[in-house]
Amino acid sequence: MSARVRPPGYRRRRGVDLLAKTLGVLATVFGLFWLVWILYVTFRTGIGALAWRTFTEATPPPGMEGGGLANALFGSLVMSALGIAIGAPIGIAAGTYLSEFAERRPVWRETIRFVNDILLSAPSIVLGLFVYTIAVRPTGHFSGWAGGIALALIVLPVVVRTTDETLRLVPGMMREAALSLGVPRWKVTTQILYRAAAPGILTGVLLGLARISGETAPLLFTALNNQYWASGLNSPTASVPVVIFQFAMSPYDSWHSLAWAGAFIVTLFVLVLSVGARAYLLRNRIDSAA
Amino acid sequence: MDIAAPRPAEALGSAAIPTKISVRNLDFYYRGYHALKNVNLDVPEKHVTAIIGPSGCGKSTLLRIFNRIYSMYSGLEATGEVMLDGRNVLDPAYPLNQLRSRVGMVFQKAVPFPLSIFENVAYGLRHHQRLPRLQLEERVEQALREAALWDEVKDKLHSSGLSLSGGQQQRLCIARAVALRPQVLLLDEPTSALDPIATGRIEQLLADLQSDYTIVIVTHNMQQAARVSAYTAYMFLGEMIEFGSTSELFTRPQRRQTEDYITGRFG
Repeated sequence: MSARVRPPGYRRRRGVDLLAKTLGVLATVFGLFWLVWILYVTFRTGIGALAWRTFTEATPPPGMEGGGLANALFGSLVMSALGIAIGAPIGIAAGTYLSEFAERRPVWRETIRFVNDILLSAPSIVLGLFVYTIAVRPTGHFSGWAGGIALALIVLPVVVRTTDETLRLVPGMMREAALSLGVPRWKVTTQILYRAAAPGILTGVLLGLARISGETAPLLFTALNNQYWASGLNSPTASVPVVIFQFAMSPYDSWHSLAWAGAFIVTLFVLVLSVGARAYLLRNRIDSAA
Repeated sequence: MDIAAPRPAEALGSAAIPTKISVRNLDFYYRGYHALKNVNLDVPEKHVTAIIGPSGCGKSTLLRIFNRIYSMYSGLEATGEVMLDGRNVLDPAYPLNQLRSRVGMVFQKAVPFPLSIFENVAYGLRHHQRLPRLQLEERVEQALREAALWDEVKDKLHSSGLSLSGGQQQRLCIARAVALRPQVLLLDEPTSALDPIATGRIEQLLADLQSDYTIVIVTHNMQQAARVSAYTAYMFLGEMIEFGSTSELFTRPQRRQTEDYITGRFG
């Protein structure tokens, strides 16, 4: 008996529910479709273009067959490492300040958060131009240093925000408990809170790394490019994204195939890094019930 | 004298129990809100004193003044005197970290640090004293024994403090606090998140600890106050209504408000 009694409007509500679900699924499928397509084309073409010499030989001169991406891979690696090495510590320090030490200056704190969010969404080419005027023009040459600095400016706001947000997720009672032992605030922060927030902060750094490893625009005006091995961080330096950009527009088939190989490597790296970082965070999420 | 402010002589009768913490004319403001109004209280040494009262009466606020933990937030201000062994802890010249090593605190929810069980207890010790490894281990063991946790954790001292059950975590927090050998132990509703069995263990523990520590416990549970404490203070709307020996206060309350509260009429 009771199973057949429907509340008034039941059919209509079921209809609306079904419609909402259908639209939701369609929207998801629409978004995923392009992602899967991009990944499919990149992987299929990219794997085919991969060869051992991709990792051992430098980029070829125009019109020559063969060659690899070794100098660009190395340049990307060094400049990304530089970006992280500069951006992450400053970002962690700034995020810590916002979360832990700015409580008595709320307006100041919110202003910094707001400005940081602006930096977070600033077009990367603007950051590249900015670094061009402060690091390339004064020295008179493009350099790996300038590239690293530009990448650091992209990493910085990502790390500031994730550090700030993860530290704020640490239960306030943990701060009180540690402070009530008579331990000074800086020790509580570095020894207890950082440990509690470590998964989140590390994830922020990894996501920052994932973001910069595919960046082209900030490197165009800073590290430029280099067909050969860079003689040091003071000289123009090749990077995978810039080589992809240059080679993809070239008229040579062998360059196209190197560009695909580069695209494959970068995509795989970013994919593994961001999926890995998120999986790591999920596994070690701060237990707010603790 | 102000009759509204219970005085130690009346409260404690003629028994000459020394006063550990003496609160005089204490007012507390929370961003302009007058949260404690002219509170006076004498906490007897090496006994359990319970502070009871309805939610929002200021009992936790009072407790949080004793170790000045409130000062980590902005916009909070305490005026008056809180004398610990004759020195006013509200005096900015009173060294904060020294105060907190003398006055330990246990919170409503157990919050183990993301460290091993051993390091949880050793954490405060490491900061205040440079002890050789062997002595440090002794102090940690002693603290865990005092908190009646040693037998349960002695074989897994190096696993995470978060792996313990809720009741064990709260005893770990008590061990963490007593490891510093404080003189006063403040407990802010320490059993409100625990089941009856774990609560019973903590209450037994308080009975054992009171020979060495002056204990102040805030509780919303009147039965608990009656069970564990020698003295009880009743607060209402930021005022200290009545303070006396627990048996007196629960059987012959001097004030109508106290009687209404403990008989459940309240209001």
